[in-house]
Amino acid sequence: MRLKLAFAVAGAGLILAAVPAWAHHAFAAEFDAKHPVHFEGEVTKVELINPHSWIHVDVKGTDGTVTNWMFEAGSPNVLLRRGFTKNTIPVGTKVIVDGYQSKDGSNRANGRDITLPNGQKLFIGATGTGAPDEGGDKKQ
Amino acid sequence: MSRRLVASLVAIGVVSSLPLPLAAQVAAKTNGHRDLQGVWTNATITPMERPAMFDGKLTASDAEAAKYEKQNNDNLYGDKRSENAEQDRDHAYNALFFDRGTELARVDGVKRTSLIIDPPDGKIPAMTPDAKKQNAGRLQAIQQRFDRPQDRPLGERCLMGFGSTSGPPMLPVLYNNNYQIVQTPDTIMILVEMVHDVRYIHMDGRPHLPANVRQWMGDSIGHWEGDTLVVDTTNFTDKTRFRGSSENLHVIERFTRVDPGTILYKVTIDDPTTFTKPWTLEYPFLATRGPIFEYACHEGNYAMPDILGGARLAEKAAEGAKEKK
Repeated sequence: MRLKLAFAVAGAGLILAAVPAWAHHAFAAEFDAKHPVHFEGEVTKVELINPHSWIHVDVKGTDGTVTNWMFEAGSPNVLLRRGFTKNTIPVGTKVIVDGYQSKDGSNRANGRDITLPNGQKLFIGATGTGAPDEGGDKKQ
Repeated sequence: MSRRLVASLVAIGVVSSLPLPLAAQVAAKTNGHRDLQGVWTNATITPMERPAMFDGKLTASDAEAAKYEKQNNDNLYGDKRSENAEQDRDHAYNALFFDRGTELARVDGVKRTSLIIDPPDGKIPAMTPDAKKQNAGRLQAIQQRFDRPQDRPLGERCLMGFGSTSGPPMLPVLYNNNYQIVQTPDTIMILVEMVHDVRYIHMDGRPHLPANVRQWMGDSIGHWEGDTLVVDTTNFTDKTRFRGSSENLHVIERFTRVDPGTILYKVTIDDPTTFTKPWTLEYPFLATRGPIFEYACHEGNYAMPDILGGARLAEKAAEGAKEKK
């Protein structure tokens, strides 16, 4: 289940070989690239559970019906270490989510982008590298 | 909310500059030997095998390292987009997930270009022809077989950490690279955060288990050579298959607490059935904050029904298409 992480690094010889591209599961197996989804909605629940956390969002359709969708996010252990808790995006927070729907047709998708009303994308570009935490002794 | 998030990130930055905790500094001796106890991380962006840009060099100057680190960190944590939908979908594994740190690992203060130190070219030795045959099709099977959970990899099934986190060898992966070591006179226990795996290293002088007794993490017995803990592990199954290895895998690990905040970890992989020669990796485990978090993997393993359910749906669609013909 090697992920097809497209390391689009320009310049021969600079290509990063052998980044350990293994994860709990390959998104290729779980989510359908042919079914991108884009929703605006309100957070109804943040499940900080393993192996990956899930953010539940109520989405109102054009006909007024409300559908609950779940979006997959990072390991809760990593999120907690970064200071992300259930209160970071409280119930009721408006979010815009882009992702790809689960292959089983359920209302689940991966959270390609989770954008807050002010335009901030969760963690992406949050600091210089977007990596808010360093490994190792610097954590102390 | 966004302000709160940013504030928490800034706070982490502030905490980062503080010195090591007292617990790590103490490093009291246990039974006359070095104390390995504590919470550790082996997170690093140093890859297992040496990238081409570092050909012939085990170490990198800080300037050389900075170039690699920038590229790598942009790839791991940057805002990646792709016109290709399949690639774009996979880019959802992004900074929300990854926690590999942002620097190459340092050994003796110098940055390392690969975890592999032997063979000297920093590459995994060639597989034996038999092992090549054995392994052919394994990856393909993972990508194409969705009949039942047993067809899926151990990590996806929440049975073991993916990428050899518990090992042995205990490798850094994309996230949750945290370990807790607890010592008693007879046993050393290593709690692995990923999937809550626990390793027991027997220090009471017992021999290895009989050859017919096999364990997923193998059977580990240890002894001290000076201040270095040497752990010998055999009796693997053919289920974990580290990098295509067989159940004849033999792993020799060496743990040395070189300073209060660092365990130097050196591990040799010896499996003549699989590899044409033994190979050795070396990297640090650095003292880090606790606690180790629980990893109740099955609790939210929605991925499994998504994956298998998706396969059933695809089959139905294929049946439907056949009937129409």
